[in-house]
Amino acid sequence: MNAAVSAIQALPEPEHPVIALKGLSRSFGAVEALREVSFSIRPGEFVAIMGPSGSGKTTLLNILSCLDRPTGGEYLLDGIATAGMDEAEQARIRREKIGLVFQQFHLIPYLTALENLMLAQHYHSIADAGAARAALERVGLGHRADHRPSQLSGGEQQRVCIARALINEPALILADEPTGNLDEENERVIMELFRALHREGRTIVLVTHNPAFGSVAERTIRLAHGRLEGRA
Amino acid sequence: MAASNRWPMFALLLWRSLTVRAGRVGVALAALAVGAAVVSALLCLYLDIKVKMAEELRAYGANFVVGAPVGGSERGVDQSALQRAIAAVPGARLVGASPVLYGVARLDQGNAVIAGVDFPGLRRVSPFWQVSGGWIGVSFDERNAMIGRKLAETMEIRLGDTLNVLGEATGERARLTVKGIVDTGDAEDEQMFVALPLAQRLLGLPGRADFALLSVSVEGAEADQLAASIETAAPGIDARPIRKISESDGVILDKIDGLMAVVAAFILVMTTLCVNATLTAMVAERAPEIGLEKALGAGHRAIVAQFVGETVAIGIAGTLIGLCLGYGLAQILGQAVFGGWVGFRAAVIPVTLAASLVTALAAAVVPVRRAVRIAPARVLRGE
Repeated sequence: MNAAVSAIQALPEPEHPVIALKGLSRSFGAVEALREVSFSIRPGEFVAIMGPSGSGKTTLLNILSCLDRPTGGEYLLDGIATAGMDEAEQARIRREKIGLVFQQFHLIPYLTALENLMLAQHYHSIADAGAARAALERVGLGHRADHRPSQLSGGEQQRVCIARALINEPALILADEPTGNLDEENERVIMELFRALHREGRTIVLVTHNPAFGSVAERTIRLAHGRLEGRA
Repeated sequence: MAASNRWPMFALLLWRSLTVRAGRVGVALAALAVGAAVVSALLCLYLDIKVKMAEELRAYGANFVVGAPVGGSERGVDQSALQRAIAAVPGARLVGASPVLYGVARLDQGNAVIAGVDFPGLRRVSPFWQVSGGWIGVSFDERNAMIGRKLAETMEIRLGDTLNVLGEATGERARLTVKGIVDTGDAEDEQMFVALPLAQRLLGLPGRADFALLSVSVEGAEADQLAASIETAAPGIDARPIRKISESDGVILDKIDGLMAVVAAFILVMTTLCVNATLTAMVAERAPEIGLEKALGAGHRAIVAQFVGETVAIGIAGTLIGLCLGYGLAQILGQAVFGGWVGFRAAVIPVTLAASLVTALAAAVVPVRRAVRIAPARVLRGE
C-alpha cells in the first residue's frame, strides 16, 4: 500500500499547457469577433494562427497577450486563469509570462537598442545592461547596441524587438505578423530566428498571413468568422 | 552613453523623454517660470511691503502729536517735558520730531502767523514738503526763515528778501532772510517758519511750545501702546496717534495684500491651463509609447510615476527660473512703486516651489488620467 502511494507520488505531474482556451468568446456590442474558441498549446510548441482578415486573429492575439479580456469562456495562461483579471493583474502577467513581437516593431525612438531591452527589464524587475547586451548578441546585433531605432534597418529593428521579447525569459512568445513589414532577406532571417528559438524549446505563437510561416510552425490553427476551422 | 544600474532607468526615461520634446517641455517650462516669477515677485513685495508702506506713509507727515492735555489752563507745555516725551520713543522707531509754537507777529506788509520749529526735525517729519530755495539746516538759525507759498504771494515776498519781524506783545524785533518758500497744499502755506528760540522770544513764551509733531514707525495697536509709554515717561503730557494715517496704513495694506493674492491666483490659474494644454498634447503624441510601455507590463502606477516625475522635474526647473526672474521683477516693482530695492526673503523659495508644484500637478491630473486609460491594443494597432 505504502509502496503504491510512493509510486504514485513519484510519477511526474502531467505538464499543463502554456495556453488553454475553453469556449472563449469576445463580443463588441452585437458583433461576435470570437465564438466558442477552444484549443491548447503545450510548452515548446510553435503554433501559427492563420486566417483571412476579419477572422478574429487580432482579437485572439490581444486576449492571448492579456491586452484584452474575453466576454465568455476561459483562458488559462501557464495554468493561471486570466479571464477575470483586472488591469493591474493583466500587466503583471504580461511582464512576467509574455514576450511580445509586433509587426510595427514599436521601439521607443529616443532609446538605443540596448536601452529598449532594458526598458522591458525595468518593468519586469531591474535593468541589467549586461544581460540586455547578451540578448542583442543572441540576435546578432551586439554591434548595434548603442544605435537608436532610426539608425537600424527594419530587419534589425525586428530583431531588437525579438530580443526584447526574450529578455525576461517569458513562458510564451506572441508574435503579430513579425515579417509583415520586412523584405524577403529580412523575412528569411527572422524566420530562421524563430526556428532557432523553437529548437531551444521556447513556446511560440504567431499570427501571420505568411504561408511560409505556416510551414515552419509545428501546428497551424485556422480561424474563420471568429471560429476555429477544423481541429486545432 | 548606455544606461546601467548606476543610472536608473527611471531617471534615464525621464531625461530622454523631456529632452526629446524640448519644444513642448519648453512651453510648459515657460508657463511655470512666468507663474513662479509673478508669485515670487509678489511674495517678495508682500513680505517687504509693510516696511516699505510704513516708510511711505511716514513720508506723508507726522503720525503722532504730543502736547498739553485738552482743556489745560496754561498756554502750551514746557519744552523740556516735550523733550522727555520724544526721548521715550525708541530711537529705532523715531523718524523725526519737532516742537511747534504758534503765534502772530507783525511783518512790514502786515500780520502773519509764525511757527517756531526745529528745522532739522521738521524736515524729517515732513519730507513731502515742496520747498523752493532750501531748508534751513540747523535749529538755532535766527537769521533765516521759511515762508508758506500763499503768504509769500499775498505779501509779494520772494526768495532772498529780507523781512522785519516784530513781536507786538514783547516789542522783540528780528531781521530775517527768506531762505525757502514752502508748498504743502495745506495750512502751512499761509505761515512763516522761524527757529523755535526766536519764536519764543518774539511771542514772549520762553521755554514753551504748543506741542510736538512726531513721525514714528509704528502700526495699528502698537501706536496705542507707544502713546501709553510716552505718557508714563512724561507725566502731564498727552500723546495721541494721528488716527487718519495710522488706520489708513492697515486699510491700504489689506487692499494691496488682497490685490496681490488675486493677481497671483489669476496667474496660477492661467499657468495651470497652459501647462494642462501642453501636457494633454504630450500625452496624445506619446500614446503609442505609453501603449508600448503598458504592453511591456508597465502598470498604472508606473505610468503615473513617469508623468508625475516629468511634471515635478519641469515644475522644479520652472520654479528655479521663475525665482530668478521674480527677484528681478520685484526690484522693478519696488523701484517703481516704493522707489527702493526689495529684499530677498528665504521664505519665498519654499512657498513659490510649493505653489508651482501644486499648479503643475493640478495641470497634470487630467492628462495623466488620459495616459492611464490608454488601451495598448488599440494604440499599438495605430488607432
